[in-house]
Amino acid sequence: MIFNIFKKELKETLRDKRTLIMMLVIPILIFPLILNVVVGVSSSFEDSVENKTFKIGILGETNDYFAQKLNNIPNSLGPKSLIAYHGDSVKMRKDLKEEKLDLIFIYDSRFSEQINEMKATKLICSFDKTNMGYEQRAQKYVQIIEAEERMRRYEALNIDEQKITPFEIVFENSASSQKMIGELIGGFLPYIFIAFGFMGCMYPAIDLFTGEKERGTIETLLTTPVSRWKFLVGKMLVIILSGLMASFFALLGLFLSINLMDIIPDPEIMNVVNQILSIGFVLKLFLLLLPLTVFFAGIMIPIAVYTKTFKEAQSIIAPLNIIVLLPAMVGLFPGIELNLQTAMIPILNIVLTTKGLIGGTIDYSLLILSFSVMVVLAGIAVSVSFKQFGKETNILS
Amino acid sequence: MIKVEHLTKQFSLSKAQKKETNTNDEFAFAVKDISFDCKPGEIFSLLGPNGAGKTTTLRMLSTVITPSSGTIEMGGINAITHPSEARRKIGFLTGSTGLYARLNAHELIDYFASLYDVPSKLLNERKKYLFDLLDMNEFAHKRIGKLSTGMKQKVSICRTMIHDPEIVIFDEPTSGLDVITAESIIQLIRDCKEQNKTVIFSSHIMGEVDLLCDKMAIIHKGEMKYQGTMKDFRNNMTEKNLTAEFIKTVQA
Repeated sequence: MIFNIFKKELKETLRDKRTLIMMLVIPILIFPLILNVVVGVSSSFEDSVENKTFKIGILGETNDYFAQKLNNIPNSLGPKSLIAYHGDSVKMRKDLKEEKLDLIFIYDSRFSEQINEMKATKLICSFDKTNMGYEQRAQKYVQIIEAEERMRRYEALNIDEQKITPFEIVFENSASSQKMIGELIGGFLPYIFIAFGFMGCMYPAIDLFTGEKERGTIETLLTTPVSRWKFLVGKMLVIILSGLMASFFALLGLFLSINLMDIIPDPEIMNVVNQILSIGFVLKLFLLLLPLTVFFAGIMIPIAVYTKTFKEAQSIIAPLNIIVLLPAMVGLFPGIELNLQTAMIPILNIVLTTKGLIGGTIDYSLLILSFSVMVVLAGIAVSVSFKQFGKETNILS
Repeated sequence: MIKVEHLTKQFSLSKAQKKETNTNDEFAFAVKDISFDCKPGEIFSLLGPNGAGKTTTLRMLSTVITPSSGTIEMGGINAITHPSEARRKIGFLTGSTGLYARLNAHELIDYFASLYDVPSKLLNERKKYLFDLLDMNEFAHKRIGKLSTGMKQKVSICRTMIHDPEIVIFDEPTSGLDVITAESIIQLIRDCKEQNKTVIFSSHIMGEVDLLCDKMAIIHKGEMKYQGTMKDFRNNMTEKNLTAEFIKTVQA
């Protein structure tokens, strides 16, 4: 009987445009859209920074020592034009503020002499740090000029560079690529799946409970010999399936965007990403999402049962999304790890467990604890739903 | 056979409701100590103004809500202690019954038949009989949301009768319907009587009651004001017409 109810509710749900959009269309399109925009924006940004002609203000003259060195830097770093301010630092700073310049260099009028005397001399490099890519370009200019001057001094002093370089320091990253990816995107991915799981549950929950009341179909349903709990279970299964499908389609969208959009140029990283998105990972992820989705259904149903109209239900359930996503957001912060305390916090525990699964750093005893916490909460939520669905005052408007 | 004895339904009042009704009582009675019976082949009518307690009474009979006290027997089954078994014998139709707009008539009827455990062979026979009777074949595969009010009412009737119930409960079945659609309901009630079914229906239209019922009860503010045969009601009336007599009874 529950299967008959499930089948009918699923058929109706799949014929509802709103649910289809929330369950299938948006989740499957979200990652291709986001990644397309991110990749498009970042590549166009990189192009624009690389090809941008930097207007560089220099305090001295265009033929002084520093200006010559700057001019000698090949344009492979990006085109540039130098503007001399003949000692007027106030005007130069003003022009920088007014964005007539991209970068300014301020140095002492005796700069060339001090360099020649092999003295340390002050060089101020100023730019608007909110402009992405400016700092890198400025640093490269300074590094090239400084390295050239250093070499000149070594030669003049007849010093072997090797002898005054005590260490050749190499910093190595002990974290695997998988761990790095886990740390970088491990919090973001479950956040997305949780958000879509919630949204995927929302419309069917409202439609299958409040909708029945609003359309006047609930009364006839309750005059049939089928127990109320069977209706509840049949409907709840559809809500859970809808939530899981929304998460699944979001994952599918991510998989398709990674494989079809060529957004990861490094084959090694691509390989790691594909290893992460294995069938085993997907199964573990959905095993974790299952009690979470049951929990979502369990908190939505009493509201949907209590409210009288679709609008009323939506106005209560939609803001709940923010409350649900708050603990998920905490999981995005660096340094928040799965431990005995965080494993007890619903939703956050799922985010951190998924993060661990992606990074390959999961402690399975904590995974079981997180899963158990969610199962218990899901059980409580279902029993609350059952109680509410059994109340005469709730089911009849 | 329907047998109702001392049926009472009380609701606890919220603070807002107490204020609204200007009372300090903790409870309000929607139905108070109602008793009646209706035999197979009889049509029993519950007559009363809006808010009289008709719908509450019929909801208790159909086991959607549980009485506060009293007994209900439906086809020899105690409907309070064995609601599921009682429901198998009941067909329930209201004027405000909604249907699943995204299903077609076939899908909806199949679904309700499955809820009543109607065997597939019997379902096919019943469906053919009812679809032919109600002239539903032309629109049986159309989504219900795209049907006219009259067509929807036919689907509702078909849904009510698909499991061939021995007791049929109609709650203001013609309310809000046009004359032609209302006539199909009137005809259905008559057919039920001919088929020896036990029929109970509520209405606030005296003419409709006069047209159909064998026995009637007038209720007002949850209490029974009159009970007897339609014939007796007509014979004993002192007012010039049935509606005036009904109003007099209610206000007594």
